[in-house]
Parts: sequence; structure tokens; C-alpha cells
Amino acid sequence: MELVTLSTIVGWLTYSALLSLMALGVTLLYRTTKVANFAHASFVTVGAYVAYTLTITLSPNPYVGVPVAFVLVGVVALLLFYTVLEPMRRRNSSTVMLMIATLTFDIIMLGVMNIHADFLTNVYVVPSRNVLLSGSDFKFMGQPGILFVALGTLALCSAALYLLLNFTTLGIALRASMENPSLSEAIGINVSMMLAVSWFIAGGLAGIAGALIPLWTEINPNIGTLLLASMFCASIVGGLEQIYGAVLGGLLLGLVDIVGTSVLASLVGPWVAFYEPVIPLLVLSATLIIAPRGLAGVRVRRGR
Amino acid sequence: MTPLDQVILFVVDLLALLAVYLIINIGLNMQQGIAGIPNFGIVFAVAGGAYITGGLSTRLAVSLLGVRTNLDPIFNNVAVLASVNPILRSQPLTAIVLLILFLMIGGMAGALMGLISSAPAIRLREDYLAITLLAFGEVLNVIGIGYKPLIGGPIGVNVPDIFGWAGEYRFYLGTLVLLLVAIAIFAFAGYIIKTPFGRTLKAIRDNEIVARSLGKNITQYRTSAILFGSLLCGIAGSLWVLYSGAVTPTYARFDWTFLPWLMILLGGMGNNRGVFVGSLIFVTLNKLIIYYKFEFVGILPFDIVWLNYLLLGIITILILIYRPEGIVQEKWTAPKQNLSAADKST
Repeated sequence: MELVTLSTIVGWLTYSALLSLMALGVTLLYRTTKVANFAHASFVTVGAYVAYTLTITLSPNPYVGVPVAFVLVGVVALLLFYTVLEPMRRRNSSTVMLMIATLTFDIIMLGVMNIHADFLTNVYVVPSRNVLLSGSDFKFMGQPGILFVALGTLALCSAALYLLLNFTTLGIALRASMENPSLSEAIGINVSMMLAVSWFIAGGLAGIAGALIPLWTEINPNIGTLLLASMFCASIVGGLEQIYGAVLGGLLLGLVDIVGTSVLASLVGPWVAFYEPVIPLLVLSATLIIAPRGLAGVRVRRGR
Repeated sequence: MTPLDQVILFVVDLLALLAVYLIINIGLNMQQGIAGIPNFGIVFAVAGGAYITGGLSTRLAVSLLGVRTNLDPIFNNVAVLASVNPILRSQPLTAIVLLILFLMIGGMAGALMGLISSAPAIRLREDYLAITLLAFGEVLNVIGIGYKPLIGGPIGVNVPDIFGWAGEYRFYLGTLVLLLVAIAIFAFAGYIIKTPFGRTLKAIRDNEIVARSLGKNITQYRTSAILFGSLLCGIAGSLWVLYSGAVTPTYARFDWTFLPWLMILLGGMGNNRGVFVGSLIFVTLNKLIIYYKFEFVGILPFDIVWLNYLLLGIITILILIYRPEGIVQEKWTAPKQNLSAADKST
């Protein structure tokens, strides 16, 4: 009996690529706004439903929804930033209050997405829960197209983010406002605008990841909530201080989660698979105990 | 049923829910309001108390009452309870003793969950801590669903009917007991806040460095706050299971973490009067929405429950932006100008 099958590895890489995309946004927002954005869960859900709704109504190609989801979820993120976080920031709200605000926004969006799903079912009479788009995916070298698209998108997005942050004026202004907001403001950088840009990018990345999810697994209005622990775990494992740590964290968490569960299930028994949701939590605890600043922070030690 | 009966039933149900939430909110306020530990995972302690009560109550009742049966208390739950409940109905005193026992077990389970939460809580910064506790919040549901001997898997179990001896007034009695426990805890927590222990917690919250320089053991104080708060949450979970008579592994973040946070935000953190006001307003509002939601069935093309999410979410956002200190503000024990000077230094 083979311990690790090809399909397990395909599952790992797909899951990891999507997780990394989500974690990139979480880390980016933590670096810029200093907030753990719990609304990332609903960003992903919105992306997933944008892709699903477009595919069943307008176009049979499931990938058409990806750019639409990028823009739309980016706009949702801007909505959260401008209507909730920016007024609170101006009133000097504490970090805890900002975190509650993102959690609350997540609850609102959970309601909105459930209303959307009910609407699809009741008015347009199409299934809207436990739905999947992988039937309309293409095949490449005998493997589902999502594997290549997810990995390609991750590579493309991290490269684009790298170029943006390092080789453009906007990127340098963004990094400056991450490092020292008051100094950046003094030399004329519009910090509030920079924050908005980072919210748009992070929301967009979550939207892309969300739009690809229905090609990999079934979606529900709470799909983002189910993935929330994993994306935060990937982000923390990679190190909240390092943006590209998120990619590392995503790959590692996916490995432990998908491959680890599959190996354990074939060694110990199939019942292990039932406790799969606990794995990200165990990885999270282990990381926080061994390397509280994540893997990317192991070598670089900064005083706080 | 006459309109008067309906109103009485509504109020009885509302008071029971209010009592449970009041206990949880006092527990949360102890951690977030008094000690400044943002526990985004109190559902962990509530579910701990609830599931332990669900798992142990029937087993304990069978062995303590000396019921002879070969059936499994969890998997043949209904049959076993059919022989347990008549005994409890005829012996009110036994039922009360069992109630106290179950509450103690629930509280201990909650405190145990608090002990587990406190491991990261004493060494992590508040943002990492919030993420960790939120992530761990619903883990007991995975165990509750996966490990069937605990509470019978996804379908859940019934628990012995502790209030059954009141006959048709069962729910009245249940509400009365819940209220009495809540009032006792309310008074006790108010006392704790005024003791040197409570003041030290507030001092640590406001300025950790100053508190440490005065020789206070920060770790020990914060752990105690989490343990006490979680103990209360465990008792509340246990009470709710005994009142409703059954438990399923569906203790969600929305009901048992988000709503309590919303209530203490609305009422005002750091003082028990605010917590009471917030709980009262909020539980009444929520109950009215659920009560009147059936009026809308068929008019709107979606389940009205989701409008509840939208409404509560928007109320919270408005509070956060326009009145983050809540309705009842915490009374400062120190003169105001000294305190603002201390704030600037942090």
C-alpha cells in the first residue's frame, strides 16, 4: 500500500496555493494596519460566490469569475476600511476594538452571503449550498486544471506583489507607511490612501483564492469561516512580520494538513481524518511555543 | 393558549436566556473588561461546561441513583432516562443535590478549558492571543461530533430532567434557579472587582509595567482572571444544558462568543452594571426579533435569521465607532488627570 498517492500531492499543492494567497493578504494587512483581519473569512466566501454565480448565470468557464472576484472583493475590503476601520482609526480605537470590528464585519457579510445563497435557491431555483464547479474544469496531463492555475496564480501574485513593493513609487510609499506611519506622513505620503491600497490588494487576493475554491472543494456560505483558522495559522507559521512568510506557511500547513492526515489515516485508521480541523490548531500551538514570531522570524530578531 | 399565557411564556424564556448570558458576560468582562485579556474564544469554556454536563450527567445519575440497567447511558440515552427521570421527579431533594453536583462539574470543566487557554494567554501579545483563542474556540465541536461516547456524536444527547419535579411548572422553576445562580454570581463578581485582587487586575490592564514594578505577579493574576471567567462560562454552559434538557455539538462562535462580546460592548466594559444593562437590552431585542420573525416568513425570499446577523452587526459597528465606551461607563477609582498622564506613558 502506497502511503502518499499522487492525488494526495495534487490536493496538497492546490490547497497550499489557495491558502498561501489568503495568508498573503492576512500578513499584508497585519503589517500595514496592525490588525488581525477576521473579515478575511468572508472575503474568501464572497470570492467563491462571485465565481459560482457568474459561472451558472453568464459563462460556462469557471475561470471567468477570477478577475471579477479580484475587483469585487477588493471593493468589499475598501468598504470595510472606509466605513468602519478608518473612522475608528481616527478616533484612536484600540487594537482589540479594531479586531472586534473586523469580526463584526465578518458576521454581517456572513448574513449577506447566506441571503445571496437563499436568493439563488428561492428565486433562480439553482442549488447554492454544497456546490462545486470542478465539473467544468479542464484537464492537463491527466490532472485537474485547478492545480496548475492555483500554483500559477500564487507565483504570479507573489511576483507582482514583490515587484510592486520593491520597484514602484507606490510600493516604496506603501512600505514606508508600514515601517513608520508618522514619519511617512511628515514627508507627504498619504498614509490613509496607502492603507486603502493594501486593503484593496489583500481583499483582491482573498477574492482570487475564493474564486478558485469551488474548483477544488464544495462551497457553502461559511466556507471562509471554516478556513479562517487555517489561513491565520499559515500566516503566523510564516511569521506575521514577513510578507512572503505567508507562502512558506501555506505550503507547510498544507503539507501537514493534507499529506499528514492521509498518512496518519492509512497508518492508524480512517477515523483520524475526522479530526482534520484540529491539525492547523496543533501546528499553530507548536509554532507559537517553538518560534513565536513564525518561521521567517527565526533568524531575523527584531526588538519590539 | 391565551395572550397572557403567551406573554408569560415569552418572559420566562427571556429571563432564562438573560440569566445564562449574564453569567457568561460577567465571565467575559472579568477577562476583557477587568483584566484586559481579549478572549475571543469563550465558546471554548461554555462548550466545555455544556458537553461535560451532557456526557457525565446521565452516567452519574445512573450510578448515584442506583438504577439497574445494562443499557449505555449515551447510546441508549432515551431508554436510560426513562428510568432515571421518574426517580428524580419523586425526589426533589436528590434532584437539587444532583443539580449542584452538575454545576460544580460544569464549572470545573470551564475552568479546565480556561487553564488550557491561559497557556498562550500569559505569554502572547494581544493580537496573537486573539487569533489563537478565536481559532481554538470551536475545537470542542470537532471532538463532540467525532468522539461519540462524549455526547453521542452529531445528534447529541438528552440530560436528566433536574427540574422535572415541578411538573407543569418545570420551566418556571428552571428559570428561577437560573436567575438565582446569576444573581449570586453577579453579586460575587461585584465583590471580587472591589477587592484588592480586582483592583490589581485593573492596574495590570491599565499599566502592566507599573503593576510589575510594584511587585505584582502579572502571570499569576492574569491566569486567575482567565480561570475565574472560564469557570463562570462553564457553569453557564452547564445551566443552559440542564434547562433546555439536551445538548448537541453545535456551540458556535456567533452565539457564544460574538453575542457576549456585543453585549458587554453595548453595556460598557469593566463594570458589572454595564454588563447587566447590555445583556438585558440585547437579549430582549434578540428575543423580539426571533419572536416576530415568523411574521415575515413567505414575504422575503430568504431566511429571516440572516437579517438578524445584519442588524446586530450594524448595531455593533455603530457602537464601536460612536460610543466605544458603552452605555454605562466604568467609574474610575483614581482621579482622572493622574490616569490620563499614566495613559500617555504607555
